Amino acid sequence: MKKNIETTTGYSNGQIFSLTFLRVLIGWHLLYEGLVKLYTPGWTAKGYLLGSAGPLSPLLKGMAQSKSILYIVDIMNEWGLVLIGLCLFIGLLSKPCKILAMILISFYYLAYPPFASLGFNAHVEGSYWIVNKNLIEIAALFVLYQFPSSHITGIDKYFKNN
Amino acid sequence: MRKNGFRVFRKGIKTQKHQYKIGMNKNRRDFLQGMAAIPFLGYFAFAFKDNITKEIRGKSIDYLKTLKIENLKATEKKLLPPTGSNSNIIRIGLVGNGWRGEQLLYSLGYAHPEIVEQNTVNGKYTKQFQSFLDQEDLCVEFAGVCDTFEIHARRGFEISQNDICPGGCKGKTKPVKIFPTYREMIASNEIDAIVIATPDHTHAQIAINAAKAGKHVYLEKPMTHSIEEAIELRNTIKSTGVIFQLGHENRQQMSFKMAQEMYQKGVLGTVTMVQTFTNKNSPDGAWIRTRKFDHLGNPNTINWKEFLANAPWHDFDLKRYFNWQRYSEYGTSVTGNDFSHKYDCVNQVLGLGIPETVVALGGQYYYKNHGDMPDVINAIFSYPERGLTMTYDCTLLSGIYRQSHILSSEATMDIDNAIMMYKDDNSERYKDINSGSDNPMYYYAPSADVDAVSSATSKAYLKGGYGPTFIDGKVIDATFLHLKEWIDAIRGFGKTSCNIDAGFEEAVTFNLANLAYTHKKPVKWDKVNEKAIIG
Repeated sequence: MKKNIETTTGYSNGQIFSLTFLRVLIGWHLLYEGLVKLYTPGWTAKGYLLGSAGPLSPLLKGMAQSKSILYIVDIMNEWGLVLIGLCLFIGLLSKPCKILAMILISFYYLAYPPFASLGFNAHVEGSYWIVNKNLIEIAALFVLYQFPSSHITGIDKYFKNN
Repeated sequence: MRKNGFRVFRKGIKTQKHQYKIGMNKNRRDFLQGMAAIPFLGYFAFAFKDNITKEIRGKSIDYLKTLKIENLKATEKKLLPPTGSNSNIIRIGLVGNGWRGEQLLYSLGYAHPEIVEQNTVNGKYTKQFQSFLDQEDLCVEFAGVCDTFEIHARRGFEISQNDICPGGCKGKTKPVKIFPTYREMIASNEIDAIVIATPDHTHAQIAINAAKAGKHVYLEKPMTHSIEEAIELRNTIKSTGVIFQLGHENRQQMSFKMAQEMYQKGVLGTVTMVQTFTNKNSPDGAWIRTRKFDHLGNPNTINWKEFLANAPWHDFDLKRYFNWQRYSEYGTSVTGNDFSHKYDCVNQVLGLGIPETVVALGGQYYYKNHGDMPDVINAIFSYPERGLTMTYDCTLLSGIYRQSHILSSEATMDIDNAIMMYKDDNSERYKDINSGSDNPMYYYAPSADVDAVSSATSKAYLKGGYGPTFIDGKVIDATFLHLKEWIDAIRGFGKTSCNIDAGFEEAVTFNLANLAYTHKKPVKWDKVNEKAIIG
């Protein structure tokens, strides 16, 4: 068996398990974040965008000030997180999902970049400098992008030959 | 051979069967591998809803439920739509065009050309100035100005000539008439209402004479220099029926309106202690101020006799003229200058009225060469009928910021333009609220855009509740709202919120403290005879 998988996928059992586990964890996280936003009555990214700092701040603040743009941002945030999360979770359309997830999380990272001069560290539970959990999640997604697992342990498996 | 051959055949079949079995297992396993995450998803789908409900409940606390009230109407209040038009323009005369006079003109829609210049960067207006231009046109005409300092009056004229103002300045650039004194101004039939921003000792005489002449009055705080003047002014305003507004613009601040409603709805329970503060630590904060054209002041440009008015005679003195706040002959001490604001804020929340007894102690220890204003003073105001005491702590040599505190049996409320409420550990009303006494159980902050403001003094000014406020979904300057309320009331729409009764309470309360400080004795208020009893 072990030999079989190794020959067909190039991964060992342990590698397959760890890559799948990481994919499911990130999927779980994004799905839950999205669902919480979806279920919170009147949820909007307005306050988050208005409070942003760093290089993207003028753009993000501008987004919050336009009603129509804010509406789109809200919908994309809620459903983007839910769908990307769900897809990563079950291993469906894994490749594009990982790219989208990296882009989405990059926005969160750049909206509140962990630079000491911006003074956000006072409000978070740990201490971060340049590297924070968002950046690590982006890096983890990049690893998953390089070492996909959904064609073995995901729904993508059933489409791989089509 | 045949036997052997059969064996081989059977073995072959067995091997095939075995291999087929292995193949089946392999395919099934392989197939199931693609579903590896599904059991986790199953658990997620089964449990997430319950968890999300808890999560959302934890994040979005219903403040009405927390405070145990059904609604908070103050925040739903709408702004009164514009009441002015070309047919009902109110002609305003300004008495006293010093720094505050110019601020009031600005809120009325008239800016000095200097302000336009300062707020034009690369041919574009600053955000702050643009919001001034976008403010409602109150449809008033700046028709008259007078000042004891020639330069101030001339600046009034320059302001009237500026054609950049809200509403496009249609017909507004008429040159303002400069009156020699307020007496000629109130006698004029070209003036409908007057705004008074003069030294405190002249407030009463100008306001009384104006009201007697039928002019509506907007009077800068504090109301009067003495209790006797407050009584006379109140009686005059009531008998003439003119529209009166005292310049405590924090009456417009949303936080105080909300706090008043919350108090009336029992949110605080029994209030036993009210603490108010002044903390400043600069000569400017101690009212030792200079402006760039003060050096132009001399006996030829200053009407010294008119400035002194009813005050005891003193030889011409520029220091007295420009820093009059620091001299008790003209000013009303830190109590009239700053406590009056703090008092008016808590008075509108709690409806305190006039205290029964006041004691005050302190002294002038530091800024000794500038009049007789104390730099350190503590005053206690006793309200036995209300079962509470109000205190006032002031130092002009410490800049620490302290909001007013309202201490009660259920919670403590820290209030300025924001509200922070802390649950009392032994509260009965909030015993089920999961919040310690070190974390606010309720918090309100207006979303005011303070980008344009950077100095510490300006921030203290904003925090104190004198800057912008949040109403009807908009951030609006409190002074503008306060003037608008007065102008709308003159046109018959609504009433002024800092009316003569509120002003009377303010004037009597801080003047009682001044008497207690001067005489170093407790001072009682005889409410039947409306008299202060010293000792």
